[in-house]
Amino acid sequence: MTSSDKRKGPSPTRRDVLTIGAAGGVLLAAPWIARPALAQEGPIKIGFPVPLTGPYGSEAQEQARCAQIAVDEFNAAGGLGGRMAELLVRDDKLKSGEAATRTLELIEKDGADFICGSLSASVQLAVNTVCAERGKIYNSISQSDAINEAGNFTKYTFHEALNPHMTAGAVGHHVFPDSGKRVAFLIADYAYGHEMARGFKVAGADYGIEVVAEVTHPLASKDFSTFLPQIQAANPDVLCLCNFGFDQLNSLKQATSFGMKNQMKMIAPALLYNQRRAGGADIYSGVVGGTNYYWKLEDEIASAKAFNDSYRAQNDGAPPSDYGAYGYAGVGVLLDAVKSAGSTDTDAVIGALETLKYDKYKGQQYYRSCDHQSVQSVFIIESKDEADMENEYDVFRVLATASADEGALRSCAELGHG
Amino acid sequence: MRVTSTKSSPNLFNRLAEIIGRYRVLAVLVVLLIFPFVLPYQALAANILIYGLFALGFNLVFGYAGVLSFGHAAFFGIGAYGTGIAIVHFAAPWYLAIPLGVVAAGVTAMIMGALAIRTRGIYFAMVTLALAQCVYYIVYQLDGWSGGEDGLTGVTVRQVDLGLMHFSLFNPTAKYFFILAFVAVAIYVFSRILASPFGAVLEAIRENEDRARACGFDVRLTKWIAFVISGLFCGLAGALYAIHLSVVPIEVLHYHMSGQVVMMALLGGMGTFFGPFIGATVFLLLEDVVTTLTSHWQLVLGLVFMACVLFFPRGIWGSILRWIRP
Repeated sequence: MTSSDKRKGPSPTRRDVLTIGAAGGVLLAAPWIARPALAQEGPIKIGFPVPLTGPYGSEAQEQARCAQIAVDEFNAAGGLGGRMAELLVRDDKLKSGEAATRTLELIEKDGADFICGSLSASVQLAVNTVCAERGKIYNSISQSDAINEAGNFTKYTFHEALNPHMTAGAVGHHVFPDSGKRVAFLIADYAYGHEMARGFKVAGADYGIEVVAEVTHPLASKDFSTFLPQIQAANPDVLCLCNFGFDQLNSLKQATSFGMKNQMKMIAPALLYNQRRAGGADIYSGVVGGTNYYWKLEDEIASAKAFNDSYRAQNDGAPPSDYGAYGYAGVGVLLDAVKSAGSTDTDAVIGALETLKYDKYKGQQYYRSCDHQSVQSVFIIESKDEADMENEYDVFRVLATASADEGALRSCAELGHG
Repeated sequence: MRVTSTKSSPNLFNRLAEIIGRYRVLAVLVVLLIFPFVLPYQALAANILIYGLFALGFNLVFGYAGVLSFGHAAFFGIGAYGTGIAIVHFAAPWYLAIPLGVVAAGVTAMIMGALAIRTRGIYFAMVTLALAQCVYYIVYQLDGWSGGEDGLTGVTVRQVDLGLMHFSLFNPTAKYFFILAFVAVAIYVFSRILASPFGAVLEAIRENEDRARACGFDVRLTKWIAFVISGLFCGLAGALYAIHLSVVPIEVLHYHMSGQVVMMALLGGMGTFFGPFIGATVFLLLEDVVTTLTSHWQLVLGLVFMACVLFFPRGIWGSILRWIRP
């Protein structure tokens, strides 16, 4: 600044401009210059973008906790020849644009080796595009039919979660044979709702169901009083609730108060553990649905017991939820594949994932080779009455298990895989 | 440094402000050139560029013409979808896809402007909001073209070939400078528009609409043209957004987006040249940093925004300008 001390001219001189510019430049560039060079052989990094804030926040927090358990187990077992794993959780705010930005951050800045996560159909498609372009493996842990279709699928795409076709199909095959044939649909007007309804209809075709009403409602409706009477008027035997989260809770609550449970059987494709606990026994009592996991499976499945015990040890004895388990399995299977491949090289890990038979928490699973959908069992559950519950976590009764079978999926040809 | 500034503080700051004011385009560009090396990561820097341009375009209507539009998400979104659809469905190269998105946004602005410009004040805000929601639902329903709820995926531009120059857009720094090239031209054009007689008429309308009319200016036409120009800038921002993220989510058309750009312009300082960029920078940087610290990021952002509205009603840059030029 000495130069400007000496000279106090009335108007800015070129030297002033240069001095100020240079000083500003150095100041701004300092943090960049000081940034330490990245180590070549750092930890194995798994990026985990999930909607920590927003309507699915509690579900996402739980997914992150469960994913961390998978990482801790991998590290406790010595990692990959001493190379440890690290979980990088990012908030995608349940928005595709934010998720894409966060995924770019994870890949470009943090140098993530793999990406796993997201909790909505549209967000996972955005993350999938970004990962596929940059040749990173992405393991999706929320429901979607579209992600396995030829238009979106790439060799980097893996889908650990159930998809609507499997879930609704399993529930439909369980319910439709013994119920009346008149079926009504309440559909949340977005991809998930329509995919679920399609899954029910495909399953129902085998039993000759008759669709008597098909009512769509906007996403995140508060008031269902205009939709439910249309369904009551059609007088169905079964009502399929093809909606999710609070939509499911609110529509069930109002249907119960309308006395619809006495008139028809209620089925929900994905019956969620956390939603049921938030809603209470009365609203959900008697509702039948499907799930990827319920903690009581530990009575029969050893891996479920092991997973529950690790989770309980960290969470005051509370068992994990169904979506939480996806987080555990999604990250866990990636690390299993790293171990079996003996490296983090993308193609080697893809090869390992394609051949892996794994049992992380619910029995045997594997990825189908044409579309990388995880072939796994679907559990049919019914919500218990208050009186039948042994404790606050004992909310469902497992009625049946649709075992892991490729026949439950749409065929590779149907999905457009040549 | 401190000694110097107390001795000649008004002088030095005044001179600094004068330099920046005179070479405003250059000043923005200098800052933007070193930007990607200062910010936490390049994808965020590119987002700031894009949102800054969006806010800049919005500011033409809001800050200079003095009408509050709540429908600018429509132009940003149509720009993004126009470019995205050209690339995904017609395999158009980027140099055709981007102008296409901009023109599509301009046409949307012409139609929306023609319908809305006769109203004023809160009615104008409401009409633009309603029209933008119409655009949202039209795009939402055309899921064969737009992907509907799932958004448009696969807007991939891998390689840019400019005669002698070849670079991959998967290199984050190269992508930043690719986007910056467009933003730089846009800023220059914007600066020229403001400096033109047209820009002066806009400010005259903002200050006193009746007087501007009495002076013989066609107020309605001027506002409409400003609205369309603003739509073009926002459309360019949208087009760059599509290429930056390689997806176009339906949320770009949501009214939340329109609200966000109002916040950015207010935060930075409406009616100032640098305000929108500063607003976008502060908003996105704060959101990014706070999100990694706490899941209650909305609370922190809300408090900051409230503090700005209460104590710095002129926005960050507006307050600085007032402070250095009492």
